[in-house]
Amino acid sequence: MSEVIVITSGKGGVGKTTTTANVGTGLAKLDKKVVLIDTDIGLRNLDVVMGLENRIVYNLVDVVEGNCRIKQALIKDKRYPNLYLLPSAQTRDKTAVSPEQMVKLIQELREEFDYILLDCPAGIEQGFKNAIAAADRALIVTTPEVSAIRDADRIIGLLEANDIKKIDLIVNRLRMDMVKRGDMMSIEDVVDILAIHLIGAVPDDENIVISTNQGEPLVGDSSMAGMAYMNICKRVLGEDVPFLDLNSKEGFFTRLGKLFK
Amino acid sequence: MKQQSVVIKSNQYGLTVILDEAMPFPELKTEVAGKFQASAGFFKNAQMALTFRGRSLTPQEEWDLVQVITQNCPLEIMCIMDEDALTEEAMKKAVEEHASMGGQDGKFYKGTLRSGQVLEAETSIIILGDVNAGAKVVSKGNVVVLGSLKGTIYVGAAGNENAFVAALSMDPMQIRIADVIARSSDRQAVTRERKKSDDTPKIAYVEEGNIYIEPITKEVLGDIRI
Repeated sequence: MSEVIVITSGKGGVGKTTTTANVGTGLAKLDKKVVLIDTDIGLRNLDVVMGLENRIVYNLVDVVEGNCRIKQALIKDKRYPNLYLLPSAQTRDKTAVSPEQMVKLIQELREEFDYILLDCPAGIEQGFKNAIAAADRALIVTTPEVSAIRDADRIIGLLEANDIKKIDLIVNRLRMDMVKRGDMMSIEDVVDILAIHLIGAVPDDENIVISTNQGEPLVGDSSMAGMAYMNICKRVLGEDVPFLDLNSKEGFFTRLGKLFK
Repeated sequence: MKQQSVVIKSNQYGLTVILDEAMPFPELKTEVAGKFQASAGFFKNAQMALTFRGRSLTPQEEWDLVQVITQNCPLEIMCIMDEDALTEEAMKKAVEEHASMGGQDGKFYKGTLRSGQVLEAETSIIILGDVNAGAKVVSKGNVVVLGSLKGTIYVGAAGNENAFVAALSMDPMQIRIADVIARSSDRQAVTRERKKSDDTPKIAYVEEGNIYIEPITKEVLGDIRI
């Protein structure tokens, strides 16, 4: 049984694409057959984060318009054979695709894949409507900032109105030092406001910037962010994984490594 | 025998005042005052629709007479009806419509109201959930939030200053009761969102043109009119 997950936030720049790349890669690491769809037509960048930009020949709009078959547009990941990317078009805009076309496309992909992840554009317009049209569940990404939380709240309302019942929250870019000083909202504060299920919290980690620039998702490595993303993947699969202690500066394996030095 | 210059007829919802056509207006006013004074005990605090008959009145005269009636009698005139609409049914409807402005009826809403969502109702509303910042609730009656109120709220939207808002956790952006508006203090946004909501249930109401927010106590509830 395949599951279609939309990764959305409302506000831009909170980490939707990074989350899509890492959760998608993580699920592939856990032996699931996964396809990532970049629905941000006109501002594509999931391919860059995945390091697959140079392989693009056809894209989402080509598939929808019938210029190619789905198989031709799917790009196989360079690390995991069970991970695929359907890139978006860079030269068109959001109106090139309709929600009905998305539903039809995803219906076809459902037969092939265990997980279909949709990277949603920022905003609540056509691009958002396309992305959520066929989704079974949603991962809401927010940072502990009032503007991001306000937008996330709006998005949750819209998802509920569109009958997407399963909505989970990822709090991204947490800085525990700032939370301790009282300058940043804590995970509890955010969950209190949004009142939805928390599926993971990802600390602000410079490794994310490095991995994004290199086009290598860091999920599953020994960094705090890498472990946090792996835990999210396991929770997406329904496993009960305890939350990381984000207070420690470095990951468990880094510390373990230091012990043996 | 002198014919009566003012006759009052009434049914359950309305009064018909039949006036003498020839009598000079100032005299007529005194006569009306006398009549209503005499029947003050009979009407005690009733809400009525009013119709004048037997004489054509200018709006000013009509207004004068209403003043005279309410000064001499503990009667609440809900509306003045034209003679052609004079049926008990029409009066009944008019009075009941006015009464519903007080929001005597209510309805329930279950769920969290999120940013961008608006809940509007002719009646009072009880919300089983939170009203988040950016959400809005508009009611002609009262609103009770069994959760935290962080959004914008407008009660007594038809102009009823007796309307109130109660919430388990009261931290709204803006409260409007009839035409009185209050907004939250300009605390820093971060501290506002962070602030562990103070868990005392509170109620907001209007007194002398100001909105007061008080913890719900027997004394405060005793002063609430519905």
